[in-house]
Formats: sequence, structure tokens, C-alpha cells
Amino acid sequence: MSLHCIVCIKSVVREAPQGIGRRTPENSELNPYDRPAVEAALRLKELTGGRVTALSMGPEVGSEALAETQAMGVDEAILVNDPALAGSDTLVTSRVLAAAVRRAAPFDLILFGTRTSDSDTGQVGPQTATVLGIPFLGGVKKIDQKLEQKLGQQSGHWEMKRQMDDWEENWAVAFPAAVTIHPRAFKPRPIPLIGIAQAHDPLDVKTWGLADIGVPIEEVGLQGSPTRVAQLEKLKRGRTCRMLEGEPQAQVEALIAHLKTMGVMAS
Amino acid sequence: MNEPFINAKHRVLRRTVRAFCLEELGPIAAEIDQEARFPWEVVEKMGPLGYFGIQAPKELGGAGLDAMSYAIIIEEVSRVSGSIGLCLSVHNSVALYPILAFGTAEQHQRWVPDLASGRRIGAFCLTEPNVGSDASAISATALPAEDHWLVNANKVFVTNGGIADVCLIFARTDPQAGRRGISVVVAERGIKGFVVGDLEDLCGMRANPVSSIRLYDCRVPKENLLGRLGQGLAIGLAALDTGRIGIAAQALGIAQAALDEAIRYANQRQQFGVPLARHQAIQMMIADMATQVDAARMMVYRAAMLKDQGAPVSRAAAQAKLFASEAACLVTDLAVQIHGGYGYSKAYAVERYYRDARVTRIYEGTSEVHRMVIAREVLG
Repeated sequence: MSLHCIVCIKSVVREAPQGIGRRTPENSELNPYDRPAVEAALRLKELTGGRVTALSMGPEVGSEALAETQAMGVDEAILVNDPALAGSDTLVTSRVLAAAVRRAAPFDLILFGTRTSDSDTGQVGPQTATVLGIPFLGGVKKIDQKLEQKLGQQSGHWEMKRQMDDWEENWAVAFPAAVTIHPRAFKPRPIPLIGIAQAHDPLDVKTWGLADIGVPIEEVGLQGSPTRVAQLEKLKRGRTCRMLEGEPQAQVEALIAHLKTMGVMAS
Repeated sequence: MNEPFINAKHRVLRRTVRAFCLEELGPIAAEIDQEARFPWEVVEKMGPLGYFGIQAPKELGGAGLDAMSYAIIIEEVSRVSGSIGLCLSVHNSVALYPILAFGTAEQHQRWVPDLASGRRIGAFCLTEPNVGSDASAISATALPAEDHWLVNANKVFVTNGGIADVCLIFARTDPQAGRRGISVVVAERGIKGFVVGDLEDLCGMRANPVSSIRLYDCRVPKENLLGRLGQGLAIGLAALDTGRIGIAAQALGIAQAALDEAIRYANQRQQFGVPLARHQAIQMMIADMATQVDAARMMVYRAAMLKDQGAPVSRAAAQAKLFASEAACLVTDLAVQIHGGYGYSKAYAVERYYRDARVTRIYEGTSEVHRMVIAREVLG
């Protein structure tokens, strides 16, 4: 069965000078946690055929990150871009992505990174699945498609493995589903130069506005968002140095005791 | 800072090449320099990714990119390993480019797909023991015989020489015709009489297998003549015009690497109770280095932009090569100075940058030859 996978990606801010994440082409890049998700989708495509769509919500600069996924091998790229979206929180982002996914349907699997390297909430993947009302698994390391013939009809499910802390879980999940991909599970492929050339000559990223996905303007942006970032503050962590004294054996014991108190080492 | 000259494609390329080189070449760059070892394990990965056919057309297996992309790729590779930047620059610009520009359709089909994919490596064989800047004085010969050229040549300092499969040999096809008697024939490694000499033990760029290539009564097929009879010097000059952008980009990458290391070290090393970066003497050096690197980058990118526009590029490319190579020597020298005794030790990368930078003022036209080219253009 050939699959349609949709990978949701974000163009993240690499450095936020005074705590304000202003996006320019020079300081934006494809979220590093999204790369394994793109890789997972591409490997599924190689195994099963089908196609991969990359989807992103954000300002115009997001088309650069989308083109990068095309250079990796993604078939189609869609940017949801509308001035009214500025200031949207993760809930609005999830609703908008869900609306765009519905427009891009039918689909079999939606893939996300576990988090983003700039705002780092980890909320958009699970929230989008909730808005769409489809099953969700987080931290997925392995995805297999299982097909069976029932009454002459082909149907199937996903078999997935995910990692949470020190545990691995195996799940059977119905089509269609949404997942976040474990950051170390799928090493992203190196991007071929010809892929970059083809993705840009000419740039082929579809742009959808709010009207295209049927989301009312008053439900997005700052006014549509139940949460907002009031202020960003850079934290400075004070470092202390404590010298241990005594015989090596005693120093090791003191160090272990200290690490246990800190909760760094299990007792 | 918003950069002029470059677009979204170039930004993606820069990030992609940087990430690839840091991962693949970064951990071995010092080792391959010290052991003078060509890293096939990485080169074999670079081939399928398109690094050996950057500007070659897609139909012939290349990446089909522009000159600006080429400059950025060479800059980023050289930032991690000058030797591999050199390998790519020579392969792409003075071996593959002349075949594309002067070769017949049949020659394109025969050589370009293998060269563009890195399955075969190219070399440019002009320099001889007694001939450097004065290319018209070469003594190699390719004399017409029945169905072949009988080639005798002693070519030295051939970049990629130890691994090259497809060699552009500059030789006299008509010894009586002076400058107009020089042509280019393509000799493939493995033919009878084709000898690869010992690898040179060089000061820098040590991971590149620079060697001599000697041809003793080699029978090179007639159809391996590149361009027209007597067009050799014109082909050489055209190749070097393109090559200059590559060498300038290479010098720029090395200079940038040295600046990065100097900044890191100046912020970390403490003397007189404060980081080096707080001392005005060091600040002056860093300011000069950053300015040189910035100016070099603007000149290199401008030359690449002109090339992409199809505008005359000789002067801009010569100025970029002259300036960037001189800047690389200055910047790497200051980086060593900022590192003090450690900078003179192999424990730090700056001594490698210092050695690698030096030859950029010598090869593909010395600084002095470039000043001649520039003066000719300026004075008319």
C-alpha cells in the first residue's frame, strides 16, 4: 500500500539576541529535531512507495526550511503563511496545522519532531493529533506497516516502538496516526547538492493562506491564542566549585554521596 | 548581518556542506594532514552527493549549480580541510570545467559522468620542472602519429596526481609553432607509459596526493585532443580564470577557520588575570583579521556573481585570488600569534591553517602573476 506521510516542520531561530526571536533568513534553519522525522518519512516511502509532504506554518522564511526537506527527497512542500498568524501560540498552531492536514488529506501518517530547538514546548505534535482526533504516539523509534486482507479488502495498522525514559513500548496503532520521532532514532541522510539545486531552481513551495484552509482570522494570532509569552529572560546559572579533600577513597565516597543527594546518580 | 550576493539556495548549501564536513572531515582533518593520507572513506561519500560535479550539468550527472554555489562549497570544505578543498577545486575547475567548455559531445559522454560523480578524479598537468609561471615554455610533446598522439611529458606538482584517472596534459603538438603549437590531450591513467611519480612531501595541503606525472612514449588516442590544435594556452588560461575563484574561496575558508579558532582561544585563554580578548593588542589583531576575512569574502562572492551573470571575470577573479590568498596568510599568521607557543604546536589547528594558507599565494598563478594580470586589466 503506498503511503502519504505528512511531516510537520518548523523554521527555528538559531540565536535570539536580547531574548526576542526575530526571524531573518540568516538566523533561521530547519529545526534539528525535525530532521529525523523527515528521514523516517523518507525511509517509509522507500519501503512502501507513496509520497511525502512537508508542512509548515510560519512566515515566508519558512520556505527555506521546506526547500531543505525537498532537497532531502520530500515530494511536496506547503507553507501556511498569513500575516494574521503572527503571535499564535501552540494551540492555534496545532489547529492551523490540523486544518492544513485536512486539506492535504488523505494521509496515513503525520510525523513531527519531539520538540523545537527555539521554543521547545513539545506540544504541537500531540495537540495536532488531538485536534484531528487520531491516535498519537510520542518518541517513536521504529515504524512498520502491517497489512492484512479482510473480506477482499486490504487493511492494516502500524506497529511501532517508542522510548520513554528507560522503557521501550511496542504498540499497534490504527491508520491514520500521528507520531513524534525520537531524535536519535533516524539519522538524517546527508543532503545531495543536486537535491538543493533542484529544490531551488525554481523554488516550488505552495503557500496557503487562512482562507485556503478555512480557518477564521479571529481564531488565530494573539487574539485567538489562550496563552502568550509575556517576557523572555536569559537565565544565568551560577557555577560553584567544591574541592574534596582526604584520601582518594574518601574523596570518591564523598563525591558519590554528593551526586546521590543531587539526584544525578541513583542509589 | 544580512549578506549581499547570496540567496536562499546558497544559505541551505552553506549549512549543508558545513554540517557534512564537520561530521565527516572534522574528526580526521588533523590526522590526514599529519599522515599525508587521502581520505577515500569520505571522498567516496562526497561523490554520490555531487561534490565532484558541482557545476556540471544535471544531464551529465552533475549537480548543476552556479559559480556562487561553487565558491561557497569550496569555502566551507576548506574551512575544515584545506587539502580536500584543494582536491575539489582542482577537479571541478581546472580538470572538469575545460572538458565541459572545450570538449565535444562525445568527449562529454565519455568523461563527464564518471568525473562528476567522483568515480574518477581529474588533474591538470601544466607545470614542469623548469616551467612554472611561463606556461608557454613547456617542453612536453604530443606528436601526431598514425591514429594516436605520441606523448612525452614530465609534469610536476600535479594536484590530485597520485589518484588522478583523467589528466589534462599540456604539450607541444607542433614544436615549431611556439605558443600556437601547444595543445591539450587527455591521458587516462593506466595506458602504457603513464607513470605516477612519488608523492611530494609538502609543507601544507598534505592530505592531497600531489605528485609528478610522467608520460614515456604514451600512445594517446587521436580523439583525446581537447579543443582545437594549438588552443592549449587559451584552454589553460580559461581554466585558470575559473580556477582562481576556487583557490580564492579556498583561501577564504582557511582564513575563516583561523579567525574562528583565534576568537575562541582569545576568549578562553587567561593572561594577566583576564581573557586575551580583553587585551587591546589582541583586539587589534582580531579586528584586522575579521576585516580581512570580510573583505576577502566580498571579493570572492563578487567574482562568482559576475561569472554567473556572464560578465567579464578575469580582473575580479584575479583580484579575489590575490587578496584572499594574501589575507589567508596574514590571518593564519595572526591566529598563530594569538595562540602563542600553543599556536606553534600540532596540538592546535592553527599551525595547520598557517601551513595550508601559504601555498594559496603560489599555485594557480602566484601573487606576482596575478598582479601582472590585474595591472594589464587596469592599465589596458
